[in-house]
Amino acid sequence: MEGKLVIPGELVTDKRMRLGPHVFVENGKIYSDAVGLAKIDRGIARVVPLQGKYMPKAGDVVIGIVVSEEYSYYIIDINSFYYSFVPKEEIRIPLRKGTIVSAKIVKVDEINAATLSDIRVFRGGEVLTISPVKVPRVIGKNASMLNLLKRGTGCSLMVGMNGRIWAKGGNIELLKKALAKIERESHLSNLTLRIQKMLEKEKQHTRR
Amino acid sequence: MEEIVYVNAEGRRIDGRKLDELRPIKIIPSVLSRAEGSAYIEWGQNKALVGVFGPREAIPQHIQDPTKAIVNYVYRMATFSVPDRKSPKPGRREIEISKVSGEALAKAIFVERFPNTTIDIYVHIFDSNAGTRCAALTAASVALADAGIPMRDLVSACAVGRAAGHIMLDLCKEEEDATDAVDMPLAIMPRTKEVVLLQMDGIISKEEWKEAFELGLKGCQQVYEIQKKALKRKYEEIAEEEAKAIEHVDKQLKEISENPELLRGGNK
Repeated sequence: MEGKLVIPGELVTDKRMRLGPHVFVENGKIYSDAVGLAKIDRGIARVVPLQGKYMPKAGDVVIGIVVSEEYSYYIIDINSFYYSFVPKEEIRIPLRKGTIVSAKIVKVDEINAATLSDIRVFRGGEVLTISPVKVPRVIGKNASMLNLLKRGTGCSLMVGMNGRIWAKGGNIELLKKALAKIERESHLSNLTLRIQKMLEKEKQHTRR
Repeated sequence: MEEIVYVNAEGRRIDGRKLDELRPIKIIPSVLSRAEGSAYIEWGQNKALVGVFGPREAIPQHIQDPTKAIVNYVYRMATFSVPDRKSPKPGRREIEISKVSGEALAKAIFVERFPNTTIDIYVHIFDSNAGTRCAALTAASVALADAGIPMRDLVSACAVGRAAGHIMLDLCKEEEDATDAVDMPLAIMPRTKEVVLLQMDGIISKEEWKEAFELGLKGCQQVYEIQKKALKRKYEEIAEEEAKAIEHVDKQLKEISENPELLRGGNK
C-alpha cells in the first residue's frame, strides 16, 4: 500500500488540511498519533494504523459473543472496552451463552460504551480473529478481497469491524492461512493479487 | 586501593567510550504474543522486557477516572538482576520509579480519549548496570507504539552525570559509584523537547548542570533515532522479503520465456 511509514509524533504534512483519522494538529502542523501509513488524498491528511484496538463507532457491524443471560437482557462481548447489553424484547429467538451474533452499533456514548441493535444469530461455524485495524484490508475495495476469499476458500463469511470473522463451511484452514498473510502484509500494495495467487496455488495442490 | 582512571589521556572512559557516547542499544518490538504490545531492550548490559495491555476497563471501578485513562506502570527488577539477590518484594525504589515513569508516559499518551480505562505497562529488568529506568522507559514507549495506543510522541530517555569532574553521557555502574558522582536520568518528547522526567542525585553547580542537560538532550535525540528505526524495521523487513519473492518469480518467468525447454519437465 502506498504511503509513508510513520511513527507516533512524526510529521505527516506541514500544510493546512482537513484531518482524517489518527492525526492531530500542533502549531499548525499535522502529526501522526500511531504507527502507520501516512496518506494525503483529496485534501485530507490521514494515517492508516498498522496496530491498535477496536474503537466502537456508530454504524459499524460487529460480531459479538453472548457472555451471559440475565432476567431481561443479554450481555454481549464485542471486543471493545465494555460488554454491551441487549434487552430481550429486541430479540425473538432465545440466545445462550456462547452464541455468535452480529449486531449494528447504533450509539456510542462519551465513555465508549456501545448500544446495539439489529441482532442476527449465526449458527455453527467458527469465529476467527484478526487485528481490528486490518479489517478494511480483509474487505478490500468494493469488497474485492472478501469476494476473493469467499470464492477461493468456499467459506461463508461475515466480517465484523471489531476484528472478528465468522466462517462456516469450505476450507477454513486455507482461510486462516490467507488471513495470516493479509495481517502480515497489510502495509504492502497489490495484496489482493498476491492472495489470489496464493489461493490458486493451494487449489492446484489439493487437486493433485 | 588502586585509584580508578575515569577518563584517560585519550578522552576514553572505563569501557572505552567517549564522554558523549551512549552504550550500544538494541530494541526489538513485538516479542510477546499474548501482550497487545511489547518490546525487548538491550542497553549495554541492561536487559528489560516490556508488555503493554489496554486500554481496558479499570477494575475495581472506584479507581476509574471518567476524564482520562490511568497509566499503570509497573517496574520490577528480577531477583537475579543484581550482584546480591534482590528481594522480589517491590521496594521503595521500584515503587518510585513506577510512579515517575508512568507519569512521564501519561504526558505522551492521549489519555483523554479513553475514559474509565487503564493502560497497563509491565516492565521487568533482567540484568542491570546503571540506567535501567531510562532503558525501561525507552522500551516502554516503543511497546506502547507497538500496541497502537495513540501518542503525541515517543518518549526517549537517557542519563547524564558527572564522574571525576567530567560531565558524561549514560553512566555505567563504576562511574555512578565515583566519589563525586552525579546521576541525572532525563526523559523528553523529542519533537517538542518537552521534559517529562528529570531526577538527580548528587551535588552539582549551575554551570555544570546546564552543560549536563544540553548533553542529555543530545543523548535522548540519539535514543529517539534508534527507537524510530526499531519500530519501522519490522515492516520494512516484510516489504523486503516480499519484494525478493516477487523478484524470484519474475526471474523464473523470464527464464522460461527465454528457454521454453524448461517447461517440459524432467522425464525424458
